[in-house]
Amino acid sequence: MALTWETIREGDVLPELKKRPGVTQLVKYAAGSGDFNPLHHDFQFPQAKQLGSIIVHGRFKYAALGELVSNWLGHAGRIRKISCQYRAMDFPDREFVCRGTVTRKWEERGERLVALAIWTESDDGKKTTPGEAIVALRA
Amino acid sequence: MSSDPKQELERKLKAYVGVETGPPTPAPEPVNESMIRHWCEAMGDENPAYIDAAAAAGTVHGGIVAPPTMLQGWTLMGIEMADPAKMRKNKQTELHELLSSYGYTSVVATNCDQTYVRYLRPGDRLTATTVIESISEEKATALGIGYFINTRDVYRDQDGAEVGSMLFRVLKFKPAQQPQAAPSATSGGAPAKPTRLKPPRGHDNAWWWDALATGALPIQRCKACGVLRHPPRPMCGACQSVAWDHVFAKGGGTVYSYTVLHHPKFPGYDYPLVCAVIELDEGTRIVSNVVGCAPADVTIGMRVALSVAPVDGGMTLPFFRPAGS
Repeated sequence: MALTWETIREGDVLPELKKRPGVTQLVKYAAGSGDFNPLHHDFQFPQAKQLGSIIVHGRFKYAALGELVSNWLGHAGRIRKISCQYRAMDFPDREFVCRGTVTRKWEERGERLVALAIWTESDDGKKTTPGEAIVALRA
Repeated sequence: MSSDPKQELERKLKAYVGVETGPPTPAPEPVNESMIRHWCEAMGDENPAYIDAAAAAGTVHGGIVAPPTMLQGWTLMGIEMADPAKMRKNKQTELHELLSSYGYTSVVATNCDQTYVRYLRPGDRLTATTVIESISEEKATALGIGYFINTRDVYRDQDGAEVGSMLFRVLKFKPAQQPQAAPSATSGGAPAKPTRLKPPRGHDNAWWWDALATGALPIQRCKACGVLRHPPRPMCGACQSVAWDHVFAKGGGTVYSYTVLHHPKFPGYDYPLVCAVIELDEGTRIVSNVVGCAPADVTIGMRVALSVAPVDGGMTLPFFRPAGS
């Protein structure tokens, strides 16, 4: 069922989105996104050696949160803003889950807006990337 | 004073605040379906609005669009980023090199905040401008001490219209832990114990640290009205006089409030760590640690006695123990 303004309620929970990027996917992402910071693909890079591993791109987690919101929105509207904090690192071959809830629904200058709390959760239950999104629904 | 490397660094950092990192960066290619497909494949995103023209026609966008979070990807430097020798230099790379040369060698992103004016379509030609908006003071974090750098990117299309913007924050830091890959050369030796975070030392409080290093706890006193204050600062909050001297604490105090820290565990500290506000008998308060008893035995109103002790060989700190212990 397509998402509509009328059916959205504060407190609604978004369908979760799971990601488990391995090294291959991170390499593909580096090429797809242009983010070739060696910390995300080169185990010999000094900072990676120090951490004992490469780490998942922050931008990958950010984009996964964008995907979470887009999937829920179903292109019945547009994302206006996504912000997030990188509180902890995620490592390859570990699952993280993107989750979100509707926190606010309001109209402003003729626009139908919805605010969402969004976050990624690592496999040990830590919210590694909490954030917020604002979307505008089709009038 | 000019020989203090931290002050020297911070003077140099100021020159980067508010500066555009370089001329506007044009995207090497227009927004295009191939790059969109690569991105979606990398993300595992199968949303047809990005890759299937027929399905996209039925969406609010009326045709194929790029995933909004791809915004920065159109102008990122790509493979160059993996080779510092090849990377194009700009004010931002220069700033990172400056911090690296002072020992702040590591970097992590801490915040990303993008705003989308419109979704991008194949054919759009983007140009990005980046401004270094601000650089924090030196901060102590769980990763190590470092500086937060805020940059703001603005993305414009072929008509010069803004299509989106991004606030990005990174922490450029000195790693708190010894590198795991560099254990003591003589194998079998215990790894070096991490040290506590060094408190910030500047023009207004250097005297206090110097006096503390003699083994006594100094308390700043207003010369005009006699009110005591801590931590050290230039002006009296009671009468606004900037004339001051100091007295030394006699050593008695009371636990005014406290908390027991379990997480996060900063390297160099023993946990659980009792962090307390101590009301000195002289009449001002100081944040310190209660030591010499179990955390469960600490209570508000408990009498404590000062103990000034060296830590990590080179720094002196005030601690408080249960009175009479």
